[in-house]
Amino acid sequence: MEGKKFKKYKMYLKMVTSSLLRRRSRMIVALLAIIIGATILSGMITVYYDIPRQMGSEMRSYGANLVLIPSGEGMTADDVNEAKKYFPTSGEVVGIAAYRYSTGKINEQPFMVAGTEFDAVKKVSPFWHVTGSYPSASGEILIGQDVAELLHVLTGDIVTLYGNAGDSSIYSADLRISGIVKTGGTEEGFIYMTLSDLEGLIGGTGKIDAAECSIVATASEIDTAAAEIAARVPAVSAYPVKKVTSSEQAVLSKLTSLVLLVTIVVLILTMICVSTTMMAVVAERRREIGLKKAIGASNRNIIVEFLGENIFLGGLGGAFGILFGFLFAQAVSMNVFSRGITFQPLLIPVTLAASVVITVAACLLPVRNAAEVDPAIVLRGE
Amino acid sequence: MNVLELKNISKIYGSLKALSEIDLVVKKGEWLAIMGPSGSGKTTMMNIIGCLDKPSSGSVILDGKDIAKENAAGLTAIRRDKIGLIFQQFHLVNYLTALENVMVAQYYHSMPDEAEALQALEKVGLKDRAKHLPAQLSGGEQQRVCIARALINSPMLILADEPTGNLDEANEGIVMDLLQGLHDDGSTVIVVTHDPEVAEKAQRTVILEHGRIARIIENSSAEKADET
Amino acid sequence: MFFRMIKGVLIRQRKKMLMIAVTVALGVSLATAVLNVMLDVGDKVNQELKAYGANINVIPRGAFLLNDLYGIDMENGISDKYLDESQIGNIKTIFWSFNIVDFTPYLELSGKANNEKVKIVGTWFNYELKLETGEFRTGMKNLKTWWQVSGAWLEDSDADAVMVGSIYASRNGIKTGDKITLNVADAVREFTVKGVFDSGSSEDEYVYLPLSVVQEMAGLAGKVSRIEVSALTTPDNELALKAAQDIKSLSIKEYETWYCTAYVSSISYQIEEVITDAVAKPIRQIAESEGAILDKTQLLMLLITVLSLAGAAVGITNLVTASVMERSQEIGLLKAVGAKDSAVILLIFTEILITSTVGGIIGYFVGLGFAQIIGQTVFSSAIAIKAMVIPIIAVSVFVITLIGSIPSIKMLLSLKPAEVLHGR
Repeated sequence: MEGKKFKKYKMYLKMVTSSLLRRRSRMIVALLAIIIGATILSGMITVYYDIPRQMGSEMRSYGANLVLIPSGEGMTADDVNEAKKYFPTSGEVVGIAAYRYSTGKINEQPFMVAGTEFDAVKKVSPFWHVTGSYPSASGEILIGQDVAELLHVLTGDIVTLYGNAGDSSIYSADLRISGIVKTGGTEEGFIYMTLSDLEGLIGGTGKIDAAECSIVATASEIDTAAAEIAARVPAVSAYPVKKVTSSEQAVLSKLTSLVLLVTIVVLILTMICVSTTMMAVVAERRREIGLKKAIGASNRNIIVEFLGENIFLGGLGGAFGILFGFLFAQAVSMNVFSRGITFQPLLIPVTLAASVVITVAACLLPVRNAAEVDPAIVLRGE
Repeated sequence: MNVLELKNISKIYGSLKALSEIDLVVKKGEWLAIMGPSGSGKTTMMNIIGCLDKPSSGSVILDGKDIAKENAAGLTAIRRDKIGLIFQQFHLVNYLTALENVMVAQYYHSMPDEAEALQALEKVGLKDRAKHLPAQLSGGEQQRVCIARALINSPMLILADEPTGNLDEANEGIVMDLLQGLHDDGSTVIVVTHDPEVAEKAQRTVILEHGRIARIIENSSAEKADET
Repeated sequence: MFFRMIKGVLIRQRKKMLMIAVTVALGVSLATAVLNVMLDVGDKVNQELKAYGANINVIPRGAFLLNDLYGIDMENGISDKYLDESQIGNIKTIFWSFNIVDFTPYLELSGKANNEKVKIVGTWFNYELKLETGEFRTGMKNLKTWWQVSGAWLEDSDADAVMVGSIYASRNGIKTGDKITLNVADAVREFTVKGVFDSGSSEDEYVYLPLSVVQEMAGLAGKVSRIEVSALTTPDNELALKAAQDIKSLSIKEYETWYCTAYVSSISYQIEEVITDAVAKPIRQIAESEGAILDKTQLLMLLITVLSLAGAAVGITNLVTASVMERSQEIGLLKAVGAKDSAVILLIFTEILITSTVGGIIGYFVGLGFAQIIGQTVFSSAIAIKAMVIPIIAVSVFVITLIGSIPSIKMLLSLKPAEVLHGR
């Protein structure tokens, strides 16, 4: 009995594979349709899932979304590191720029002097527009556009800055202007130098007046982190920069729903396209169905054969679709965001299942119709 | 013993009466030809005998069973078990080899048996062409595959619709010899044709005209062949 | 006879032709929808990005934006130069006036609240500005969408009410409904706290009043210290950067292009032209990031569009191929009765073209529907219908059906009529 079953099974497989392999041009037409559908499915879903993350990183060009300032006593670099532990774990920390502020005078004009690390500034505030260059050596400063206009100085000029050193004595330093910064904001009225330079002038190693943090995270994650830091790190008060966080949230959610809707429309239309192609491919085989019925195939026989073929087609098309879809999403991500994409393993079963179900559903309807048809009519070639 | 009995059958398509009040009895082992000009109801009769269609009225008793009472699935089962069909246009599954085309009939009937299918091909002289696809076979060879497929399940009745209609003379001869051989082995054969030469080979020829049996001719030559 | 045959096919082969029409309609509706959305997505996202607030700061020439950062007190933060309030409306008269979404003036002064030093800001909240071209509502309510206000927003007509920042309020234990006394210049007045706002920035330490109230108390009628403008802008390119360096370095043609493009720098320049002694500075944090995000979004949509269009194209091609293959027998017959290859091709092609034209027209309107659904759902506004989509799609459908027919026509021409008719 086992042998008999096996023989039938073997013949079934032979019929299915022969149908696929020996009708190559037709099969390619069908397979192509399925591959396109599956590619669009997996590609669009990958892009959709990756958009919030990618755009979130992109939104970091708006600058800091969390600001740490001392609560009372004063804050040190250690406190900032302590606070960093409570940052949202999911998001990448783009940068933390620590600032120390002091006042100083040039040509009897008072200015705010800020000490910071410029590598961090470049990451946190990518919108700064510097003519000249950021200070790279000790004794170099970056000045705001307003300061430059007021003092009538240019890049490369040397200015003398003096002010109160920590111990109530007066410091005086000759500093070279390495660049002029334009932001359109308050930064244009500041003088920037490296943190170590400023500490050298006014003393007080390790003290920080403010730390601007740029973190890839949602508004609520930032709020949670701020509350957490306030509770756990007594020396630090954390403030979400609402203008950035909540606006970012609004824009991101719009973008995500835009891509979602476009994805849905594209998917629905693609699925219908795949279905019509499958129907056309099946319609061509009415005569074959008629013949098989004439020599004794039951409707069930016919349907089971098509089922086998299309499960195979759907599976193969789905597999290619997963591959191409990933490549597409990767290409989009590299082109748009210059970043790779994370592969969603869940997409493998989803895409495979969807392409098999759609392929099978698209052909079963016409096959059922064809199977119902009187074999005599089909055989006469009408 | 009667293989087939048609009792007062009529077939009506809309207002057209394709067959009217046909009575016919076919005995086991008989070779019958159905002849007539176009539009005489040949194809309709062939469809009804071949269980591809049902009459509008009357009864068709095949092997003691009235097929007029069967539904589509029942007709399919009867076709599968009792009838071997041979078509004018061969109708082979074009993506299966000659051997596989024969095995398909076995598959739907019971179970595929390669050795038996190969034997059937040998019988029609195509053993060496077993692995060829229909497109690689000549018309005559395709028709022989079709015959091998028709006889593979040892049907009660072999029904051929213009089996030589698309063939040249040489192939016509081969096919007719094969049918003769089937008849000699005891199969019941019905051939639908408009070719008198083909009809001549049968024991009896039923002439259809305007949906009625105009006359029935007993072919003496065939009778003789049968006796020897 | 040719047309009779075509008519015959179109009517009698209705089902098959319907399938081609449906597929073409689907493909075209997809293309129409994504193309229209793509072409409009820039404007739409630009609108959304306005949530980040103003991108241009207009200050008096010679004044400096020496505000305090993070609440660090700075005496010299207040300038004594002012802009003229009556000229604010001019912003809506510049070349790119339609791109000006919102603006609001500020009069910022040092003052005292309950005898404690505080920064006092007079501004517009939901001000109705009368212009020659009609009325324009603008102010903080539109500009600072992220502010969270407990209590209520001020009205511009509130003469004895203030809004205070959350940091100031919590430091001094002030709640909505409390009374506070403000000293501005020599004037002293009592106000009710109408609302407490949380802006998440240094503004949380300030006290806000309607502009006219502050002007009256400070004796600075018709004066404002700066204006924030929110404008829809085009992302900067090389030309904009060149102009930002030095406008005089532009050739006349470049200057015209630059002036007539909605770069943040050209809009700033045009604002400077209409307000006396003003300097309009792009707020780079907003302006530049907007540009980056707009570019990304448009590129993203472009790629999605390309994928959908490719999908639609291959889908149509595929179906045309499949449906012509299906008709091999009929075409074999035509050839058997003596049709020339060219006649067969012409026949098939005309049929398909007529079918896809019908499908395409239907698809176009369905696609517009999809685009509007997307627009309304995502942006709550209609997607602008771009006429240029029509020729793009018409040409693509023509080319795609042509390409789609090629493999099938090639196959059909290789058919031998006898074989087809004998059912091989």
